[in-house]
Amino acid sequence: MAVYKRGYQRYSGPLTGSLTRFLVLPRYAWRRLYQQRLVLLLTMLAFVWPLLCAGFIYLTNHAELLQGLDREFREFIQVDGRFFSVFMYVQAGFAVFLAALAGPSLIAPDLANNALPLYFSRPLTRWSYALARLTVLMGMLSIVTWVPGLILFGLQVGLAGGGWFRANWTLGAGMVVGFLIWLLLLSLVAMASSAYVKWRVVAAAVTLAFFFILGGIGEMIDQVLRVTWGHIIDPAWSVNQVWCALLGVDPPTGPGAAASAGALATMIVLLVVVIERKLRPVEVVS
Amino acid sequence: MSSSPVVELENLKVRLGRREILHGITCRLGVSGTGKAVGLLGPNGAGKSTLILTLLGFLKASSGRARILGLDCAHSMGDARSRIGYMPENDAFIGDMTAVAFVRQMAELSGLPPEAALEKAHQVLFHVGLGEARYRELRTYSLGMKQMAKLAQAIVHGPELVILDEPTNGLDPAARRRMLKLITEMKNEQGMNVLVCSHLLRDIEQVCDEAVIMKDGAIVHHCNLEEERRSNRSFVELEVSGDDSQLRAALPEIGAEGVPEGLGRWRIVLPPGVEVDAIWRIAGQQQLLVRKLSHRRDTLEEIFLKAMGHLSQTPGDAPPSPRSGFGEVSAN
Repeated sequence: MAVYKRGYQRYSGPLTGSLTRFLVLPRYAWRRLYQQRLVLLLTMLAFVWPLLCAGFIYLTNHAELLQGLDREFREFIQVDGRFFSVFMYVQAGFAVFLAALAGPSLIAPDLANNALPLYFSRPLTRWSYALARLTVLMGMLSIVTWVPGLILFGLQVGLAGGGWFRANWTLGAGMVVGFLIWLLLLSLVAMASSAYVKWRVVAAAVTLAFFFILGGIGEMIDQVLRVTWGHIIDPAWSVNQVWCALLGVDPPTGPGAAASAGALATMIVLLVVVIERKLRPVEVVS
Repeated sequence: MSSSPVVELENLKVRLGRREILHGITCRLGVSGTGKAVGLLGPNGAGKSTLILTLLGFLKASSGRARILGLDCAHSMGDARSRIGYMPENDAFIGDMTAVAFVRQMAELSGLPPEAALEKAHQVLFHVGLGEARYRELRTYSLGMKQMAKLAQAIVHGPELVILDEPTNGLDPAARRRMLKLITEMKNEQGMNVLVCSHLLRDIEQVCDEAVIMKDGAIVHHCNLEEERRSNRSFVELEVSGDDSQLRAALPEIGAEGVPEGLGRWRIVLPPGVEVDAIWRIAGQQQLLVRKLSHRRDTLEEIFLKAMGHLSQTPGDAPPSPRSGFGEVSAN
């Protein structure tokens, strides 16, 4: 029978599990996000570099193809920590722009359209709402970061063999952990700017500005005070320090990986507090 | 079927910042599972919205307790929320979603499986009159359509209790009638309990079975509108011309009591089960010409004004100085 002929009757069937119910939000959000051409275009562009890296891995594992090249050059092009760190820098850059592009459309419309009371009047807590939004961004950014990274790692293992894997498995693990730290920070920054700025363009600008301004301030502190610890407030620099430690690459001069990890953790906690203050069904003016 | 109250408040106090908004409210409203509507009335700033937000768990009580469908609002809100639907007063939607996607998403968040949610979304949108517009984005809707979409998302999961905050706000007369009809259907046909918060007395009077009047963060009156309606039906104003001297003696024959007010005017209280026809018959027997016969209603507006302190008494209640004992009769 056609829907319009059936008439409305109260639902009395089984309900879905309450713990996984928050995943409804990411499902709908992804569908809407990938309807944006710019997001789709940037996502596709972000696969160019992994494809080039895949070609590089193929090349390094086929010595016969490199026979005409200089010996020093052949020794230089190897799949090691340095290779993965370069791969990560490029993909991390794409992730920043994707987060700035997609992040503002997550919370800002809900705030602008007063949709939060509708969500929170259902069995959905503020934390599960925030987790759902975080899942949207983390999931989306994972597709262009650690997922292709892991595929590259798998490709290298497949071509180089089990011996290479046993000697370098920490590279794969380090890459995933390093990316996850970066994605968490990126997602929280995008969510915080989206929660405070209702206009998407401005929220995107704020997301980008967060990284550039803190980077600039860090550089300024170093120059003015003639120190090296100023960079610690630059999230990109700090995460680079952590990546270097994870991938076994020589780090740049400045505070070590532990201090940088501490700085990143502080930023993450502050961002969570900022988001928590804004995600309320009603705003109470004291 | 449970017989616990829909809303139960025990000395509920709510503070916003330094101000205490609700001052120790205690009451029991409705009976769960009975399909009744409770109206929440009061002027601006009376605390209606604060009470609703507290019931939804959006605001925390500073002391006391609030229970909704027998569940504590402070500790079991997750369970309670899966059994309630909420239609906020202000615009609340996701602009770039179609109505059907929006309502489906809300149904899924309430726990419906995706297929059932889609089916219910279509059904409920047809039910509220948005069937033909269900694939349009919500931002393109008129105010009345947005109100209906808000109602649709509030009832799509078949809640036991629906909380409606100013449901007829901004609606034209036809849309208002439709909204009130839907609310009446929700309680009568679907057995949902409804809590309607409104400042429009006529709306409350039309759809509610109980009414609570709030003022300055306290409940100043709680009345059963069904009983009020019943008493209204038996309260008659009569004006006749001719010799009405025998009317007073004739009225007890049908169990009625009457008070002459001079110049052929009478105030009569009919007992339950006796219709107005009996008055016509007596008037005919006594060859009186009926010039006016009306049910003088003890309207919600009068009850409201009395609760607000603008009237010294509700007409029909005992007057300060009873005239020939009539007030005693109509005080029930």
